[in-house]
Amino acid sequence: MATAMTPGTAGAPVVSGVPRTPGRTLRGSGLDRVLPYLMLAPTLFLVLGVIVYPLIDGLRSSTGFYRFGREIRSVGLDNYRTAFGDPAFLDALFTTARFMLLAVTIETVLGLGLALLVARERRLIRRIRATLILPMIVTPVVVGIVFRLIYASDVGLLASLAHAIGLDPPQILSNGTGAFLGLVFLDIWEWTPLLFLILLAGIQSMPVEPFEAARVDGASGWRTFVDHTLPLLRPTILVAVTLRSIDALTTFDQVYVLTRGGPGTSTQLISIYGYQTFFQFQQVGYAAAMLFMVALVVLVAAGFAVGLMRRRPT
Amino acid sequence: MTRRRVGGIAWIVAALAAIAFAVVPILWMILTSLKSNREITQETSLVPQALTTANYVSLFSGREFASYLTNSVIVTAASVAIALILGTQAAYVLARFRLKAGMHRYVGFSLLMVRLLPPIVIIIPLFLVAQQLGLLNTQLSLIIVYAAFNVTIVVWMMESFFREIPVDLEEAAMVDGDTRFAAFRRIVLPLAAPGLVATGIFAVITTYNEFLFALVLTSTPAAETMPVGAATLIGRINVDWGAMSAAGVIGALPIVIFSLFVQKHLVRGLTMGAVK
Repeated sequence: MATAMTPGTAGAPVVSGVPRTPGRTLRGSGLDRVLPYLMLAPTLFLVLGVIVYPLIDGLRSSTGFYRFGREIRSVGLDNYRTAFGDPAFLDALFTTARFMLLAVTIETVLGLGLALLVARERRLIRRIRATLILPMIVTPVVVGIVFRLIYASDVGLLASLAHAIGLDPPQILSNGTGAFLGLVFLDIWEWTPLLFLILLAGIQSMPVEPFEAARVDGASGWRTFVDHTLPLLRPTILVAVTLRSIDALTTFDQVYVLTRGGPGTSTQLISIYGYQTFFQFQQVGYAAAMLFMVALVVLVAAGFAVGLMRRRPT
Repeated sequence: MTRRRVGGIAWIVAALAAIAFAVVPILWMILTSLKSNREITQETSLVPQALTTANYVSLFSGREFASYLTNSVIVTAASVAIALILGTQAAYVLARFRLKAGMHRYVGFSLLMVRLLPPIVIIIPLFLVAQQLGLLNTQLSLIIVYAAFNVTIVVWMMESFFREIPVDLEEAAMVDGDTRFAAFRRIVLPLAAPGLVATGIFAVITTYNEFLFALVLTSTPAAETMPVGAATLIGRINVDWGAMSAAGVIGALPIVIFSLFVQKHLVRGLTMGAVK
């Protein structure tokens, strides 16, 4: 096949006028003119067909009233209005917000602490790091099982420990506050490693000069941390917190296995409520409307996060 | 004692506490899975008195866990392979070409936004579409859905890896007579191999672990994956703690073993390429 890039076919080397910097864009001619579109098309078709089309379909169904999974009539934006008068929806939103705020805050502090703890490059320390990220690899459903085995009031780890030192077994999953905090603790266990990994990379890519200067000036460890580490790390922290928050907002698997939203509605996150509205109550239109509003929040946060990731020099 | 030594001891204590925090919950599940149900419920012992494999045998005697495992492996492998093949080409185009309507500027970004959408939002319409097409409860439906989600992340991660590779190398190959596609395959792809590996690892881990789509789109062991199998099992047995813990161990084992094999590239993969 003739190629437009060889000198001669197009009269002159096509790319000669473009500055030689990595990452610049090219323009071809002849078959090379359509090649990029041919290489791009399968991906676009796949995503448009499997994700975007159903999304649009879902947006349409969010304006319908359904009975037994069938659309009876169109109700315009009523489903959206209903949501704001639905105490269960507002309660789920509030629970999700509390869950997110509490878990992500603690994960960030712990993750930063861990990152500082093992920031040096030693063989033993690399081993320790590999161990610390284990929780985020374990299948989320299995994480739910792990914590049921810890919290179980008769046979759980906590009950056994309490038994060993002669205390009454703690009742965690049977009361609202206990179950909610138990879920927060599960999330902290599972996802602190992610914050830790991202922040560790941030710490390791910090310039050394300010820290040497601080040492020469005799600054204390704490002052160095506040004056230099934190400000330098701020963009990384922001990216990590946003990414984790987006994910926490749609937590589903672990709740499904651990509590199914109960007892009562104490761990009923928005994803669980949406799932039940659709599959148990068959309120297709209402479930879609509710979740699209959540999606809107996520999109804004995601746009923010991606913008940050792009701007960050890597 | 000197200040330095105090610091050293504090470090060791903190490190041990962190390791215990990460490992003890998993260890407890493994220990429970090796106890007999009588020992679990009556003796509340911390360490098993008599080891038994009965809980594991019971999982595989009904053969269902074997098919969960097969489904998971097939669905994960096929969807990640499709996503890598299609996605690297798209990523290369976005990294190297100026496209009509400024597509090279916004396509990658849009794909990532789609990826970050809550899965629960997409699952409802997706379920309805799969139902209309008669694709419910098939491996194929999961392969297609996972391939679409994986391809978004492949494009996002690979685009930045391709940008790091100097254009001069492809140009040299093309001057020597390669077509652009051949230059992409022979020169660029091998250079992007570390990125490809990191992307593949991320895709394999998230796909294997995925629960919601599989829960909604499948309904029998003919297509159910490991996480769905484990979750439905514990929904049925409820108080059979031995079987539950064994199901947890078996459910997570394939992906933990996979992670051990790819340990070197794991960090880059786990952070979605946010970490270079």
